[in-house]
Amino acid sequence: MTSRREALKIIGAVGVTCAFPFSANELYGQHVHEPMQAEPQDAEPGAPFVPRFFTPAQLLVVSRLTDLIIPPTDTPGAAAAGVPQYIDLVVNEDPKLQTTFREGLESLDKSGQSRFGGGDFLQLTEAQQVEILTSLNEAAAQKKPEGDANFFHAIKGLTADGYYTSRVGLLQELGYNGDAVLAAFPVFTIPEH
Amino acid sequence: MPNTVFDVCIVGSGAGGGTLAAHLAQRGVQVAVVEGGPPVNTRTDFNTHALPFNFANRHIPTMRAGKYGMASERARGVGGKTMLWNAVALRFSHRDFKGYTIDGAGADWPLDYADMAPYYDRIEREVGVCGNRDGLEDLPDGIYMDAPPLKSGDLLLQRGAKELGIRIIQTRKATLTRATATRPACHYCGNCMGGCDVAAKYNSVDAHMAPAMKTGKLAIFPNSVVREVVVSKENRATGVRFIHRETGAEGEIRARCVAVACACIQSVGLLLMSESSLYPQGLANSSGQLGRNFIPHFNSGVEGFLTELIGRAVVNDEGYIDHAYLPSYMHAHKRDYARSFGVQIYTGIRRTTGWAREVPGFGADYKQRVKQRFPAYASFQCFGEMIPNAQSFIQLDKTEKDEFGLHKVKAIAVQQENERKIYDAMNKASVDILLKAGGEVLSVSNFEKPIFNHQLGGCRMGSDPRTSVLNSYCRSHDVPNLYVVDGSVFPSSSEKNPTLTIMALAARAADNIGDRLQKGEMA
Repeated sequence: MTSRREALKIIGAVGVTCAFPFSANELYGQHVHEPMQAEPQDAEPGAPFVPRFFTPAQLLVVSRLTDLIIPPTDTPGAAAAGVPQYIDLVVNEDPKLQTTFREGLESLDKSGQSRFGGGDFLQLTEAQQVEILTSLNEAAAQKKPEGDANFFHAIKGLTADGYYTSRVGLLQELGYNGDAVLAAFPVFTIPEH
Repeated sequence: MPNTVFDVCIVGSGAGGGTLAAHLAQRGVQVAVVEGGPPVNTRTDFNTHALPFNFANRHIPTMRAGKYGMASERARGVGGKTMLWNAVALRFSHRDFKGYTIDGAGADWPLDYADMAPYYDRIEREVGVCGNRDGLEDLPDGIYMDAPPLKSGDLLLQRGAKELGIRIIQTRKATLTRATATRPACHYCGNCMGGCDVAAKYNSVDAHMAPAMKTGKLAIFPNSVVREVVVSKENRATGVRFIHRETGAEGEIRARCVAVACACIQSVGLLLMSESSLYPQGLANSSGQLGRNFIPHFNSGVEGFLTELIGRAVVNDEGYIDHAYLPSYMHAHKRDYARSFGVQIYTGIRRTTGWAREVPGFGADYKQRVKQRFPAYASFQCFGEMIPNAQSFIQLDKTEKDEFGLHKVKAIAVQQENERKIYDAMNKASVDILLKAGGEVLSVSNFEKPIFNHQLGGCRMGSDPRTSVLNSYCRSHDVPNLYVVDGSVFPSSSEKNPTLTIMALAARAADNIGDRLQKGEMA
């Protein structure tokens, strides 16, 4: 029998060294950029979206909220940019956020009823919906928002994250034009007054 | 091959290991580099040109699908963290090496700027660093290519800072701004931290090890997770034992000299794991200093917008991320703390806009506010120097093991009073500059939520073997043919990004190892 130490040596002998997948002489400047292999992303246009966490009723409220936070203007709003789908994905993976959303959505219906005597949030007028969000927005500006304000803080943050990382938000709304291949970095000046 | 005894076995292949390997191989030394992760092909493995909406969760992963994961926290893969760094390449100054002598806190290095200058020269010539010669006492000049111009936002901040008597310069990066024989110039696509797909940004494979392969003296063993540095009864390092990452097979590589260079925390962990009857508290730890004096940089940050740029047309100024730098200047000012800070300054557009969630309000007004501020964004990423303290250390977690059955290594850093004072000072300086430049502040980071970056210390060099682990050549005081070459060796961290100094130390260690091999001292 070989001793443990000898066995180690023998195994070591079969260790494989690596060769680099290119030669050191290659001029990388001639390298052509490979197109990105995009990961699966936005649902197929027209394909129905099946939420993983939200109920269909909750999804409608979430969609409405995202559009109140980032509405359609001369560019599409949050709902059209796929933000509710993004929020569903994030919340589905975060138990703490699940509680925040469950409680927040429930409370939203209640505050609509108590404030305006009306029905659920979606049945309120736009002005009434905005009024509720305005007070939540003020409360969310506090250092440590709690309850409804915390919910608003969460959905506003996720809406911003989702929208401005979407194709619509980043390219169409913000006009991001980076990720280009420039021969030189341009010379900038300070704008005139 | 069973009987191969390499001249030098290097654990790790990043800034320290890769530089050391290349320098040794170039002078004819037979080198084995043992790396825990797989080979990385910069050209096909990174998501350099990805945008957030390419991914359902909007996070751009570093590696393409199906590639072994690499994160800047722990970058297993040939090239190590140099694959994922931001490439800021700053020389340390006399003040950084002799901080204790100057302000009485922390520890001096056992070397000074004059010892390092020739090695900084050599590294900058080899790898290509861009920057300006700014003539600053605290930030020595080097050998530079032209740096890319400042962005509009940088110019506004520079003007504001000047009114406060503070100088903002073009940053210095190990990124090529003109092509060399083997690497192209930067194309300013703006996703440096995600991995550069053309190797315009330095990485230890393309700039150091690939050219050194031509010598025939360099062998790289990827996917080999080192579990132990072996030391003989005669107190000589004889090689390393490793576990193959994929097969779990065990192996050993023998060498006349061993250099540990697998990044600060892992290097200290490996030495602690390599205990023996000769070194019951961890290899080369007769001083008891191994794992102590862990001094990562601590970060603060300020974000805001430059009023003059709000609502301006969007121009592609993503560049190579941060183009501007606020070098340490506090030695010229009265202050109630030891050491200093430096600030990386980023302005302009960016593919990730996490700041948008902090912009107040909602509705069409909010949407308009964000859009107008997109080209006006400014961010200050501040780096402070931490003074060593007893609560900050690296040790083995004896309760938990990793997938290879090795002890997990834990690193704990605790900020104290001096750090708080620096933290407040660097945030205040950033806010003052932003306001002076006619900007508005969006957010200021909170000391109670510490962020650390650049893992440093834990295996410090020094002239006294009772209070340090290594001598000034990165050689163990205890074991004469054992070296440690990475950020763990720093006795004090400076506020400056450490990588250029790690590379210079590796070049210096390579000279020492090569000379001693020639003299037969490693027999």
